[in-house]
Amino acid sequence: MEGTAIVSDARSRILARLRAAQRTGYVPAVQAVRPAGDGASNVRTTDASGSTATRHLLARFLDELTALGVEHHVEPDAEAVRARVRTIVGGDAVFRWHPASLPYGVGELFAAATDESSPREAQAAAACGITGCDAAIAETGSLALISGRGKPRAASLLPPTHVALVTPDQLRATMGEFFRERAAEIAAAANCTFVTGPSRTADIELTLTLGVHGPGRVVVIVGP
Amino acid sequence: MNPVPSADFATRAGQAIGDTRLQTALGRVTAVFGSRRTAAFASLPDADGVRDAARAARLTAVTHLAEYLERFESALTANGARVYWAETTADANAIVADIATRRGCTRAVKSKSMVSEETHLNAALEAAGVTPIETDLGEYIVQLADDRPSHIIAPIIHLTRQDVGRVMEQRLRVPYTDDTQQLAATARVRLRGEFLRADMGISGANFGVADTGTIVLVTNEGNGRMVTTMPRVHVVLMGIEKLIGTLDELDACLKVLARSGTGQQLTVYTTMINGPRRAGDADGPEELHVVLLDNGRSRIRGGDTAEILGCIRCGACLNVCPVYRNIGGHAYGDTYPGPVGAVVTPGLRGLEPWRELPHASSLCGACRDVCPVRLDIPRMLLALRRDVADAGLQPRSLAAAMKLFAWTASRPRVYRGVSRLARAWLRTRARNGWIRALPGAAAGWTQSRDLPMPAARTFQEQWKARRS
Repeated sequence: MEGTAIVSDARSRILARLRAAQRTGYVPAVQAVRPAGDGASNVRTTDASGSTATRHLLARFLDELTALGVEHHVEPDAEAVRARVRTIVGGDAVFRWHPASLPYGVGELFAAATDESSPREAQAAAACGITGCDAAIAETGSLALISGRGKPRAASLLPPTHVALVTPDQLRATMGEFFRERAAEIAAAANCTFVTGPSRTADIELTLTLGVHGPGRVVVIVGP
Repeated sequence: MNPVPSADFATRAGQAIGDTRLQTALGRVTAVFGSRRTAAFASLPDADGVRDAARAARLTAVTHLAEYLERFESALTANGARVYWAETTADANAIVADIATRRGCTRAVKSKSMVSEETHLNAALEAAGVTPIETDLGEYIVQLADDRPSHIIAPIIHLTRQDVGRVMEQRLRVPYTDDTQQLAATARVRLRGEFLRADMGISGANFGVADTGTIVLVTNEGNGRMVTTMPRVHVVLMGIEKLIGTLDELDACLKVLARSGTGQQLTVYTTMINGPRRAGDADGPEELHVVLLDNGRSRIRGGDTAEILGCIRCGACLNVCPVYRNIGGHAYGDTYPGPVGAVVTPGLRGLEPWRELPHASSLCGACRDVCPVRLDIPRMLLALRRDVADAGLQPRSLAAAMKLFAWTASRPRVYRGVSRLARAWLRTRARNGWIRALPGAAAGWTQSRDLPMPAARTFQEQWKARRS
């Protein structure tokens, strides 16, 4: 193929130019550094042993969610979680992850809802997206979503409201901790997205507007 | 063809300074972003250490760029992406247009990409029968108004909401409003249809992680996620310099990027893309194409301004620059404005047509202080000014004056005589200790500033008196 030859020529020319340039050009010397306390000394690193650590992480996570304008609820048991979801959804059309990927039996509440196999028009018409998450980052109030079977990315993107279910064991102190723990899983997935608050823009006169493309309302429910 | 400036820099700057609406907008945006940035860094533990880590990550990649690119390419390929190399903007545009043609794509949604502005990709796509639609709210309005972005992260700071209302009224045939929420709602509805309909998504990349072949994108609106999730083909157009090594390094870079840009801890959506959808995945594009653009970057790498390739395009240097704050982005004449643009543009486009830009700075150093990866922009501006002089590109009058000065300064007797005469003459023109206007060739210097009256005796005379 002629096109391929031109492309690979460009590759060798660019790399050859760079190799020559790397011998002549000046880049200041730098040393690899790791910031003190992983740059997050104000969030205690997750301690597998104690409920104290989890409580501390949860408190920080909720504080960050409040600052971001994310509605949040902590429920004592699965039944309370389901009741909370029912209240939020009301009679709205739901687009949800596969029930096997949702904790607290929430998927079973919406047996006939739109899911990954539904036509895109139905997904786009849903008013409420229900997802789980792969981690909740306390330091920044972020939800980590790793793509995969049963976990459509569009469920946290298309509907104007996004309800995310978090289990306490998913709390992590920092993004760095999450990266180190789940590096292989992240690298194997097509996509890993961190959601940190509702969709926002300030492009027009720096005036904040929510929900310009993604969900303007994000609700986090933490169960037992 | 690389673009050349539309007029000389002084003309462009003069127009901007005379634009009172632009002045108001610039004052507001630079002040707001500046104070938000300060607050955001105050909340970051060991902020200096994190900045050093981010700087080390970026400059190490720039130092070993060829090797990083090879690692990045093989990781991307292993992830199922297809990689293309483009030497020029025309090559990059042709590659993207060719992908569209081969994959039968006719509608492309784009998330904000400075590189696609650099290559003027939209015009090339239209010529190839592909309709490009910008989806970042600011860029969408730029496209509707046939305008150009004026700030790296806030593209339409030069427009008021009334301007935006009129643009939408004319181009979208919707009733006029200047209500920001309603304007955004109109854009949401219009662009939602485009996201669902488009068969190609085009994005840039904020970072490329060499070890894992990960494309990292940050957006606040969610358009970046839409563009990289909904259409069946995703094309990434990125400069070859945007690499880092590891996910660990990404953590540090993300911590400083949003804080420097908008004053957020983190942008709303941080998306890591490792390839097309996997078997069994619920959704996502079927194909991922990554176009790596050189367009002068390898030349920059070989010179004294190679450090600028470590830039993470946060826009912080714009907000603190006394020149940018007065003239805004358009006066810089090309894609990248502000202090970073004054270094990057001559490197990418050629020194000769852009020789004025390295002089668009007072060398105050605010850009270096605020830069999250501590790029020494003033040093690089000086290096470029030297290159301008070495290439004989400075104005003839300046060259002649410098030659005359060199001749005089290297002859002590002549120098003493001339400085004595000049001092005496200058003192006759001073009023209350200041010289407000000079005649002839020196008039330009006093046009925008006053010269302090020279002392009664020269330094050499004072020195002699003190020693005796």
